[in-house]
Amino acid sequence: MANLRERTSPLTLDEAFHLVRRMTLQPTYALAASIVGKRPAEAVAALLDAPEAPFPSPEWAAKTPNVVDFNEAYKLWIEMQRWWIDRVLTSTSVRERLIMMWHNTFTSDYLTVYVAHWMVGQHQMLRSNAFDYAEMSRRIVGDAAMLRYLNGDQSIKGRPNENFAREWFELFALGIGNYTENDVLEAARAFTGWRISGLVGTYNRQLADLGEKTILGQTGPWEWKDVIDITLRQPACARFIARKLLRAYVEHEPSAETIEDVAKILRSSEYRIRPVLLTLLSSEYFFTPNLRGALIKSPLELVVGLASALNVTTVSRQYVSQVMTRLTQEPFYPPTVEGWKGHHAWITSSTFPQRQRFGESFIDGRQVGSSSKLTDDAGRNLIPDVIAFMKQFPEVNDADKIVAHVAQALLAIPITKEQHEALLEIMLAGAQKYEWDVNAPSAVQRARFLIQAIVRMPEFQLM
Amino acid sequence: MNTNPTNEETASRIPRRSFLRAAAGGGLAVATLPTLIESLSVQALAGGDPRLQQLLEEQDRVLVLVQMAGGNDGLNTVVPFTDRLYYDRRPTIAIPKSKTLPLNDTLGWHPAMAGFRSMYDEGTLAIVQGVTYPNPDRSHFRGTDIWLTATDADVFGSTGWVGRYLHTLAPSYPTELPAHPLAVQIGNATSLAMLGSAGPMGISFRDPDEFYRLVNGGGGSGDVPSSEQSDTPAGREIAFMRNIARSADVYANVVKQANDKSGASSVQFPASDIGAKLKVVSQLIAGGLRSRIYLISWANNNYDTHANQTTTDDSTLGVHANLLRELSDAVTAFMQEMKNRGHADRVSGMTFSEFGRRVHENGSVGTDHGTAAPLFVFGAQVEGGRIHGANPDLVNLDPIGDLLMQYDYRDVYASVLLQWFGLQASTAQQLLFRDFSQGAPALFRKATTSVDEAETRQAFVRIGPNPASDFVVVQVNVDAQSDAWLTVSDVRGVQHRTASVESWTGVGRIDLVGMPAGTYVVTLHAGRSIAHTTIQITR
Repeated sequence: MANLRERTSPLTLDEAFHLVRRMTLQPTYALAASIVGKRPAEAVAALLDAPEAPFPSPEWAAKTPNVVDFNEAYKLWIEMQRWWIDRVLTSTSVRERLIMMWHNTFTSDYLTVYVAHWMVGQHQMLRSNAFDYAEMSRRIVGDAAMLRYLNGDQSIKGRPNENFAREWFELFALGIGNYTENDVLEAARAFTGWRISGLVGTYNRQLADLGEKTILGQTGPWEWKDVIDITLRQPACARFIARKLLRAYVEHEPSAETIEDVAKILRSSEYRIRPVLLTLLSSEYFFTPNLRGALIKSPLELVVGLASALNVTTVSRQYVSQVMTRLTQEPFYPPTVEGWKGHHAWITSSTFPQRQRFGESFIDGRQVGSSSKLTDDAGRNLIPDVIAFMKQFPEVNDADKIVAHVAQALLAIPITKEQHEALLEIMLAGAQKYEWDVNAPSAVQRARFLIQAIVRMPEFQLM
Repeated sequence: MNTNPTNEETASRIPRRSFLRAAAGGGLAVATLPTLIESLSVQALAGGDPRLQQLLEEQDRVLVLVQMAGGNDGLNTVVPFTDRLYYDRRPTIAIPKSKTLPLNDTLGWHPAMAGFRSMYDEGTLAIVQGVTYPNPDRSHFRGTDIWLTATDADVFGSTGWVGRYLHTLAPSYPTELPAHPLAVQIGNATSLAMLGSAGPMGISFRDPDEFYRLVNGGGGSGDVPSSEQSDTPAGREIAFMRNIARSADVYANVVKQANDKSGASSVQFPASDIGAKLKVVSQLIAGGLRSRIYLISWANNNYDTHANQTTTDDSTLGVHANLLRELSDAVTAFMQEMKNRGHADRVSGMTFSEFGRRVHENGSVGTDHGTAAPLFVFGAQVEGGRIHGANPDLVNLDPIGDLLMQYDYRDVYASVLLQWFGLQASTAQQLLFRDFSQGAPALFRKATTSVDEAETRQAFVRIGPNPASDFVVVQVNVDAQSDAWLTVSDVRGVQHRTASVESWTGVGRIDLVGMPAGTYVVTLHAGRSIAHTTIQITR
């Protein structure tokens, strides 16, 4: 396992930024600075074990859903989006980023599920079990939102619905090539017997097909739980989840060798995620300079990342939801059961300029694509305090050094000398280096010029 | 008298025959303008002589791809109402014979598809039955990728068939961008179909005005130079983004111009998402955008009708009926608009979906993932009113119980590439990784309507001197019997010279005395086919 050998040298600021960019949704300077000098494993453990505030479901989510009134349903979807966005803007926990990976694995979309109560329930299930893939897998089968999304609640003994069985193998556990069409047909039989009762899924053996089935080479009177257990024992399952974790945390095309190394940890830990992250994120491999900036930010990572960097996490939750939607990541509405494809799919001729415009207008305190002002969640105008942002860095009155600090904080890869000169020129806007003074009235506009130029760079889209 | 041809002559006869075959398809064979000319001022070219403008427009054959994402249930789309098994296997969701719209003695349209029925009846829509591929995959994502990359079921392709085709038109893309986008996808996503080896060969946007504002709405504090290209993941992602940003920058204007120029639609498009998208496509075409391919899709896997495909008490209503109505109504409006705007003859379209659905319904008033299904090809130049392939055979099924293949989906792509875009069989074979020309159904009325660039070059054997001054001698590949002549036009389209071609040798001599220096287009007219090349005149 040479690949994942522990890196023991104390974290530099660059390395600290790399770690918090990949682990959290809020990779601020303050957070990165707080772990500089620590041993990587020590820093990873500290981030993993940081205390979390409780996150109760909205009150309405515990009540009986009204599944008739569309207006009511729509109102609750919006409230659900707000509820979750509020969390990712206020919690710095590593759990938030991990949950997004699971939401993008065990997908459900609110329009198909329709009932926000069930979507909230699914989110809370993923949240509680985010560090235990095996438990999550067992619970997703009878999850009310999933039962509705992939028709498990309509699957009938004798005439099973194959939807969930196929996606279980293909998208949730094994990946294509590791199961047969016959496995899908047989597993569909085993997944019968589920119905939704109020807020939860209930299993009724009377309704389940208890006959003999052959699934992944094993024959028996399998029920739903057996399918999960048989699947989790497949070597392909650990590799499938290992690849997902590597794509979320390290690089988009990990080598087969690296995948196998991570899969080994998953198997020995019975699919618990904490040991994997601890080893992976403190490894020499993770800190390879070549892997800096290897991932493209999701809209969530872009928006929450910028808001937290500029310390304006009070920004209107509704606005964050709108921006994510325009950048093709509407909260709780993945486009297909495959989830958001991510990476290159985030960047198109429409979304790339839109990402640039979002960043620029955000810094000016404007909403993208309109003259409307940016507001906080209470509707008050909100303009990021770029001077306070600059003042958190040392040597703030040295023009060269402040450009370097800001670029280091906002960009995942080092800027070139030419880029440094260009950014300096943009910030100075005709003035001389020695004239730069963060307390001068003109510094506000100059700081905005600098940050806006940075967020326009393709490099800003990387993490 | 020596009648033995030299080796050189033999070599030159082979393309001559292929050029002729292109021309002999029975109709107008129009050559694609070489990229060389595209890089000249195309607007100047089109802005002059109205005949040349017409010519340019004719050359731009357009294909509209309509993706029915999610796996369309073919059996409930084109209904085999004389097949008892169809009703046996689908007790709840089968469409009763009496409710279908007449198609022929054994098949009926889903009642929501009145528009498709009219197009079929008037001869502008063809059906290809039983389309899939060997060892079909029942995964949405794998199945979709296979269709978009045009690969075998066990090959994981990284480029799309459209992207590969477009790359042959613009080999130096994206370093040199053609004046107009080669392909446009309406929506925010970029389809794998459009991916070439050098990245996306097209652009995507939801709305032309919004696209323009996005690209041009930036602040003015200056740009930061690109970091050097480095062979790291980050370096590759930066290059990827810079290329996309650049094509967005270049094309936002031309897209907006086309959209502004198009004026109001002459027909009422349906209010559906797919109707709105086809409306945008119609405006861009009518406004003069010269993209070859437009791609539209439903936003989600809408055709994935595992449950509640129909209502429980009426199998002609419900989700699937609504989807088919959206499709049929939107495509009908679109083709009517193209007809009213005078573009019907150069616009065709085809539908596709990653798979059909199982023969038998499941217990949730739906159908699970299956295999073969019909697809539709539409357009005024489509050999319409025809059904390729037999009715679905519900007796002889594959081991899983699904429909067997009648046409490989790449047979249909081959029809498009050969018959609609007029590629040579060898080029189509390269693009589809295998020769599908034998199985390609005859879908387009004019067997060949354009000649690809390679063939255009082959139409001209030699041209010289170039640069020229007083005269130029042109040797072309045309049949001895054909009536061929040459014209010389300037880049604004004004014709300056005409010369005949000596029929036996294929040689024409053009007098250039008195013409101003500059770049000129030499056009070969042979029968009803044409080809272009350019010369420089120096003084």
